[in-house]
Amino acid sequence: MKGRKIGVAIVCAVCAFLLVSAFFATNFVLYDYHMEVSDYQYVKSEEEKPLSADTSVWFSYGDDGKEVFYGIDEGISGESLTVYALTQSGEISVTYGSENPIREDSLGHLIAALPMAEMDIDGDGESEQVYDYARADFGANSFNPAPQSFLSEEIPFELVFTERKYVMVYYENEILTDAEITVTSYDGETQTYRTNENGWIDGLAIRDIREGFTAAYSPDGVTVYRMQYALEDYSYFSAHFWKAQLPLLFVFALACIGIAAVHFIRNRMERNNPGYKIYSRERVGIYPGTLHQKTTSKFLLIRWLCLFAGMFLWTYAGKLIHQGQLWNEIAIPVFSCPFNLDQVVEVPCYYLSHLPYLFSRYGKGFPVLNLIYALTFLGTLLFCFIFLGRILCGFLCPAGLLQDLMDQLRKALHIRPIVVTDRINRFLQPIKWVWILLFLGFAFTGGDFCNICPLKIFTTAQGGYWTNLYLGGFFAVVILVGSFFIKRFWCIICPMGYLMGLFKRFNLFKLKKDCTACTECGACYHACPMRIKSIYTERDKENVQTVDCMMCGECIHKCPEDKALSMTFCGKTIYQSSRKAFMSKFSEKEEGESIDRAKRNQ
Amino acid sequence: MTEPSGINERQRELFIRKSTRVAASYLKRAKELSEIPDAAKPFFDVLENIYIKLSDVPKPENRKSIGTLCVMVPAELIYAAGAMPVRLCSGSYTAYSIGDDYIPRDACPLVKAVMGFGKMKALPAFDNCSLLIAPVTCDCKKKLAGVIDAVKQTVPLPIPPMKKEDADTEIFLKELYRLIPILEKETGKQITAKSLAEGINLVGNAQYEMSEFMKYRRHAPALMSGTQVMAVMNAYAYMPADIWAKQMHRLNAEMKLRLAQGHFVSRKNQPRILVTGSPIAFPNLKLPLLIEEMGGVLAADETCMGERGLSDPVSVIDAGFDGMMRALASRYTKPCTCPVFVDNSQRIYRLKQMIKESKIQGVIYHVLRGCLVYDYEYQLIEEAMGEMDVPMIRVESDYNEEDVEQLRIRIEAFIELIKLKERKEEA
Repeated sequence: MKGRKIGVAIVCAVCAFLLVSAFFATNFVLYDYHMEVSDYQYVKSEEEKPLSADTSVWFSYGDDGKEVFYGIDEGISGESLTVYALTQSGEISVTYGSENPIREDSLGHLIAALPMAEMDIDGDGESEQVYDYARADFGANSFNPAPQSFLSEEIPFELVFTERKYVMVYYENEILTDAEITVTSYDGETQTYRTNENGWIDGLAIRDIREGFTAAYSPDGVTVYRMQYALEDYSYFSAHFWKAQLPLLFVFALACIGIAAVHFIRNRMERNNPGYKIYSRERVGIYPGTLHQKTTSKFLLIRWLCLFAGMFLWTYAGKLIHQGQLWNEIAIPVFSCPFNLDQVVEVPCYYLSHLPYLFSRYGKGFPVLNLIYALTFLGTLLFCFIFLGRILCGFLCPAGLLQDLMDQLRKALHIRPIVVTDRINRFLQPIKWVWILLFLGFAFTGGDFCNICPLKIFTTAQGGYWTNLYLGGFFAVVILVGSFFIKRFWCIICPMGYLMGLFKRFNLFKLKKDCTACTECGACYHACPMRIKSIYTERDKENVQTVDCMMCGECIHKCPEDKALSMTFCGKTIYQSSRKAFMSKFSEKEEGESIDRAKRNQ
Repeated sequence: MTEPSGINERQRELFIRKSTRVAASYLKRAKELSEIPDAAKPFFDVLENIYIKLSDVPKPENRKSIGTLCVMVPAELIYAAGAMPVRLCSGSYTAYSIGDDYIPRDACPLVKAVMGFGKMKALPAFDNCSLLIAPVTCDCKKKLAGVIDAVKQTVPLPIPPMKKEDADTEIFLKELYRLIPILEKETGKQITAKSLAEGINLVGNAQYEMSEFMKYRRHAPALMSGTQVMAVMNAYAYMPADIWAKQMHRLNAEMKLRLAQGHFVSRKNQPRILVTGSPIAFPNLKLPLLIEEMGGVLAADETCMGERGLSDPVSVIDAGFDGMMRALASRYTKPCTCPVFVDNSQRIYRLKQMIKESKIQGVIYHVLRGCLVYDYEYQLIEEAMGEMDVPMIRVESDYNEEDVEQLRIRIEAFIELIKLKERKEEA
């Protein structure tokens, strides 16, 4: 009874702490890049002009993450180049060769402008008036969803990167809607796009944006505005990439300390426990290689492969696969941070945790193309939520893979797990509710869930994207330590997983149980990373899928009874428990000859 | 009878003569039921050695044997400690009549038989045990653990009365941990993760062979007489698991051959009967023999000396020492359908599953006199069987041959009833 009271008190304290501290998330800094915009250097480039630069002036970034290069075509006088930098006190302009335009109060947005030049760019014999610009956005603010524009008299045409994935076009202080924009993409190819209701260049793929492009607009056929746009983007294994790993290293270092502390404290606590005295002898956590427990399960192998594939898709694939805009609208709800722009498809966790943005995502009108995008986004999101459900947690979620790997690490280190009894599991439930509250509601209070998200760091760092870690970084440490001792610890309290689980009734994948075949041995319950108890106590219903079930198949793998548990897809059994498969690990293979002998004797 | 201390040599001889005679007659009857598979003979030899030739269990010289009084004692732990478990639940009528003097009248005969052997010191398999582990399950076993301690050092192993909550498993886990130093002290060998894993593998292998054998046992028509199967299962109590498994492997090979050759021991229309209830321990094969002699087929049994002891395997989730201990604690309580647990509704499902798998036509509910826990569950099972339209009778018996004729009539009538029912359904 006393233990229960203490447990309730701890849970209440944790919930209250979560709720209150979320509002001060940015005050808890685990890792801050401390990269002031003024730290950047503005260096003249000797490098070749990038393929995507159609203009006579361009920006590019150095791999060290501190330099921003600019270049101009030969034959153009540097004297004529003006560089504008957006600062807090209003924009400033400097001419070529003068002081670094990146000042203390700079916001990290640069535009270089050349004076109007008369040239024939479309080859019709008549020369046009061409205005060449180049724009660069850098620093931690470059993924800011709020548009930042110069809107100056000198630069009537402007490109603004917004919502982490769209390029918005301004012309003479107005959003440019339904206009023809010619884009030269990263591979030098030229294509014509139209802007939509929101002023976004419709169909421009995130890959084009990331690798740099030039957009040209001609309002009257005589004047042509061209702007080269370079978003901060780096190759793998560059200095910038390694620097992005720093916060991850920090988190892992803290997690190691945490794991050691938990291990030590647990051993200390159990020292007073007479029942456990036995195993605090030499054999704590010794994992024998002799136990016959390995059985081949194709299903579990496929699951591991899927998890790695998911990790690849959401972390690196975007750089390798040239995906179009439609790809970016496909929404698969897993916990992978969308701040990593290299994801191959969209992860809607950003929009679910920032619901106001979800509602404003497609602007006021719904032009035809936009409608397709909107339908793709909502369609895939709803399809995943309703028909796939938590199988995504078990098979695709990169956070799930991370936790599974932590579990494997624990096994490799021969450390005992913490067994989650139903009592501990009960105490974890309120914490889950608080997470759901924060996940769905925090944006309405003006907060940003990303600041407390414990999983923001993992995929962004691997993609080479810099992320500052606030309270979420500390939670990441907790999740790592937790998932080391408790398999899939985060999944137990994951808000998005729970929301997906709500639609279990409509899931195409189902977990079924033959209640007569079940012996209630509880192996499924003990194998279940989500600690679903009803799976072995259930005696009436055939469908034993619960909100928490993520179809990982562990229960089926550990079930010794024939066909007691099975997984179905659209009513067709795809994986079921088998006594033969379970028991075969205990069979002694060399006995095969004795069968032959017996046959001969007959 | 005389005082406990006054058992003299003459009485002992008389006891041994009587006891071996009964065992031999049951063994002979079991063998004669139908053609016994060659590979099953070694199991009969073991029973013969233990009960008739009065030799010790077939184990290596340097190994100690540790007696257990129930299937709920983890054999894996005993193997891990380098000893051999011997399940001493006995069905000896003679030992029963001796034990009757030390144990209250209403206690169950199985407990009396164990006590009888304890007092008589006439069964080497019992006497050579260096330690007894007595699970605190039903009342009789509980008090036996206390009483028999005077004869032989006994360690009680408390079993939680419930098993569904995690806390119950934790309690049993702690008891198992408490058992470890006792076993280690007895054998002088430390239980390590490695030896425990080997113990699990050893018993696991026996269970694997058992699960293979179950496929043949379920076959209709039968490939081997059910009474002989009961004897084979009883032999497991007195054999090291690896030797039993090896022998079982041969038996499986022979079963496979019999199946291929169409060598059946029953006809198609013989009623398939399941026995459930109190343990049927050798030599008390009265009931299975009666069933099969009266023309029934003992196709399955839901008793702890039979299938139950080996049907649930250990499912190790986490391969660490604690993980294996937890798996043992789960395996020896959760799937166990012994009625000593408060809620034992899973037994009904187990029976339903067996009826489905083995194509059972009738159920005989065996109650040893004084076995209250099984008697308690009779009504529940009867209701469930009624719903399934499977005929069932309750048979109460004791460890003597006085009730044989009465039982014979009842069983004969029951088998006729099933045949009649089948004929009606066909028509």
